[in-house]
Amino acid sequence: MGLKNPVEQAVILLRSRLCNPNFIFTLFSDSPDSNYSKLKYIISSSVTESCNNSVLLLGPRGCGKLAVLELVLEDLLREFPDMISVIKLNGLLHSDDNCALKEIARQLCLEHQLAFSKMASSDENSQFLIAMLRECGLAHKTVLFVLDEFDLFAQGKQRLLYSLLDAMQSVTSQAVVIGVSCRLDADQLLEKRVRSRFSHRKLLFLPPSREDLQRLLEHALLLPSGSDLPHEFVANFNSNLLNIFADKKFKDIMDTVFNTDSTFKQVLTFLFSALCHLDLKCGFLSVENFKDALSNIQRQPKLECLKDCSILELYILVCMKRLEVREHETCNFNSIMKEYKSIHDSFQTTDYYARDVCRRAFEHLLQRELISFLDNRGHGHSIEFRPVKLLISWQELYQGLKSYGSCPAILYKLVERETTT
Amino acid sequence: MSSEESPQITRRTTRLSAANSENAVDSSKSCALKPLSVNDLLYGNSPISLEELISSFPGRRGQIIELMSLLGPVNSPMFPTFVYGGSSTGKTSVVLNIFRHLRRPFVYASCITCYSPRILFESILNQLMLHRKSDSNGYSSIKRCDKPSDFVNLLREALSGVIGTLQGNAEKAGSKKAARWPNGKMVYLIFDSLNLVKEWEKSSTILPFLFNLYDILRMPEVGLIFISNNSLDTYYADTGFVEPFPFHFPDYSEDDLRQILLKHQVNKNLYSSFLDVVLRPFCRITRRVNELSTALLPLFKKYCEPLGDLGAVPNEDMKRKLYGHLQRHIAPSLNETFRVSAGLTSGASRSKDNKRKGIVKKLEACTSSNELDFHMSTSAKFLLISAFLASRNPATLDASFFDSTGGSDNRKRKRKSSAKSLEQKETAEQELLMKGPGTFPLERLLAIFQCLTSVAEYSPDVEGQGNRATMGDSGYIGSHVLLQLSSLCNANFITKGGSCPLEGSTRYRSNVSEDMVLKVARSVKFPLSKYLYRR
Repeated sequence: MGLKNPVEQAVILLRSRLCNPNFIFTLFSDSPDSNYSKLKYIISSSVTESCNNSVLLLGPRGCGKLAVLELVLEDLLREFPDMISVIKLNGLLHSDDNCALKEIARQLCLEHQLAFSKMASSDENSQFLIAMLRECGLAHKTVLFVLDEFDLFAQGKQRLLYSLLDAMQSVTSQAVVIGVSCRLDADQLLEKRVRSRFSHRKLLFLPPSREDLQRLLEHALLLPSGSDLPHEFVANFNSNLLNIFADKKFKDIMDTVFNTDSTFKQVLTFLFSALCHLDLKCGFLSVENFKDALSNIQRQPKLECLKDCSILELYILVCMKRLEVREHETCNFNSIMKEYKSIHDSFQTTDYYARDVCRRAFEHLLQRELISFLDNRGHGHSIEFRPVKLLISWQELYQGLKSYGSCPAILYKLVERETTT
Repeated sequence: MSSEESPQITRRTTRLSAANSENAVDSSKSCALKPLSVNDLLYGNSPISLEELISSFPGRRGQIIELMSLLGPVNSPMFPTFVYGGSSTGKTSVVLNIFRHLRRPFVYASCITCYSPRILFESILNQLMLHRKSDSNGYSSIKRCDKPSDFVNLLREALSGVIGTLQGNAEKAGSKKAARWPNGKMVYLIFDSLNLVKEWEKSSTILPFLFNLYDILRMPEVGLIFISNNSLDTYYADTGFVEPFPFHFPDYSEDDLRQILLKHQVNKNLYSSFLDVVLRPFCRITRRVNELSTALLPLFKKYCEPLGDLGAVPNEDMKRKLYGHLQRHIAPSLNETFRVSAGLTSGASRSKDNKRKGIVKKLEACTSSNELDFHMSTSAKFLLISAFLASRNPATLDASFFDSTGGSDNRKRKRKSSAKSLEQKETAEQELLMKGPGTFPLERLLAIFQCLTSVAEYSPDVEGQGNRATMGDSGYIGSHVLLQLSSLCNANFITKGGSCPLEGSTRYRSNVSEDMVLKVARSVKFPLSKYLYRR
């Protein structure tokens, strides 16, 4: 490849680290009471003792449920080669029973070098599954079923869950079902016949603590000394980074990140954004990079949207807000136009446009999703008559007008007055 | 206009020309066109420099640089990115041209053309597997795939194929041809107009699936870019989704707009002095480039009218004179800003509803003239009038309007009591504003139609003789009336609503504005105001 710029190389290395959850979570695998150890114990004991088991991994999105599971699976595959086969399903893809059975059959065939028939019926597939489970049991091979987005499998008749868990009731089979879900009440979604067959093991995944976060920062951002990067650069980079970590301003920024959303995913996104701001010429991260990153992940889309509006569109929003405050039960384009006219009549504004123009502005607002129709039906009605509602709060509108560069003073006054009265 | 000239089209043409390059990676394709290669995942044949890129998008410098830093250096993985901003802010063209500059392979799928999951999936797979629909394969896709589960399996296969090829290329990188090859071994998938997916039937599963695609694939060599009109908070999902990295394109400011509008003008000085006058008032209505440029076009012609030589550089004196000439045109043209575009963009407008309304909108636009500018048969005109009356008048008053005996005193009583029930009248007016035209069953429409035609028959010189023969047959309503009705429905003058839950029959509603009906009535000399109930 030739000699490359060390800064670029370092950026690539750090970016691939942040994009690889397995790397991030190896940090937490050593402590004995971590989810990693617990999960590993549960699975490995059911592999060695050749019994059936089921477990749910629950926790908010972006807390590393799947990543930890992947790490465990990787380790176990290394420890017990030829004793485990893993079947991975995702509720987003396979919530349909027939589709799930087909996918299981496909993965089983792939794993055991069998020919997979696309034409097989769902009945044949399910028979194949049971036969395979028996065969694997006889061969002391554990089949691990990983069901991501577990809650989606619990929709409908739950035939797949039932047939899986029911097959595990027999002595010959040897399987572990691992459900992953961000719904903490995922086990409550199960039907009675499924729930009674399910062992109620649950592992809870939580956002990291402050200490963990600090470790995570160092783990993710410090460059390794043993790589092909120049030593001098690595040392400089790392010492610069440690200086930043100790900086008061940086600590404040991290506090803000932590207080708004402290999941791993969010922290990683924040770090990714900071890394993108890194100046390739100077080659080191700075506190400013982190500050920019903070403003990047803390967005206020509605305010941005208001800033993009034209003045006529703002007028319409203010009219709607006034109607809303006066507790008109519903409003539509016609009533807004009436209000618009009355504002014009009482204040003699310069911005009074024809109805057609206003309707286009109204359509723009609909497109921006600052307002929306109350009902999805009523396609027979023309736009003027369909009731609409405002999707922003008074505060947002007020703030939006305040930060809008050339907002007419009258609009500002109108909104302000609505609250004082 | 400059930034938003439909990128798909330019892309397609450049793709075709790109296909003429040599070094075939895989072959076995017939026909005159050369087989596709990995190079066809690039944008065009000629890369552009960073300066060219930035100068071709005025006002987008910050976005371009930041977006490039998000993509990162060659071979660096990235988080899924969500690019959002109002329409006509150059999202798509900026993203595509950045890829042209970086020369990295990508797959582009717009949810405008890929309007269902199946078409979206197959289009991505076709591009990745370097498959071209042609006569020899019956214009079919390479794989049939309509389920997300199949798509993921096939996509994984296709991606690893492409990545393998790219890696192979990278290893051979010493050779002469290397300059033509795509840069790096990352493949990017770009999903454009993602906000349209919200209106798909299966949007509740497809959207979280697309957002989670990166985690499902677990391939660091894949970069995902979503482009949407609306911000992330307008995408709802039951249990949420992994939020992609948000990236905002703000609307153009006035200065940016000036630069964009100036870009393709011949006489920049003249146009700039023109913009001094008109840009500010127009910006108060809309800041979309496409709408502004159509609105300003006729106005600029007016501006140039007094000028003999269009190449002249205007001095202060001339500017003042031109301004004086233009001044009286500005205010009216502000109120006509969307007249033209209303008709033109109706096809492209967002919801189905908009599209259907487009016709009526256009028709309303011609209200200023007294004549109808389209032809309609007499019976259709009467049908239209009766539908309008059925929509506006309360059904209970039909007897008093159309029955010669039951009549007019009922109406008079109403008129006289107006002083007493002024308030009532106001609420009724409010109601009309809110509810719009009412619905009516077919029977009522036909009854009114019959009344009207019988009245028309007695009035001395209504219409051509031929028509009277059919219309005079008042005891019988032929099938032609029903045919007329259905064609009026098709033309969106009358909409067919859902059936009434109590009666079970289909209900209709008239969509036409009063001005329009007045015009129609005038053309058949029908005294509409006599039959119209005024609240």
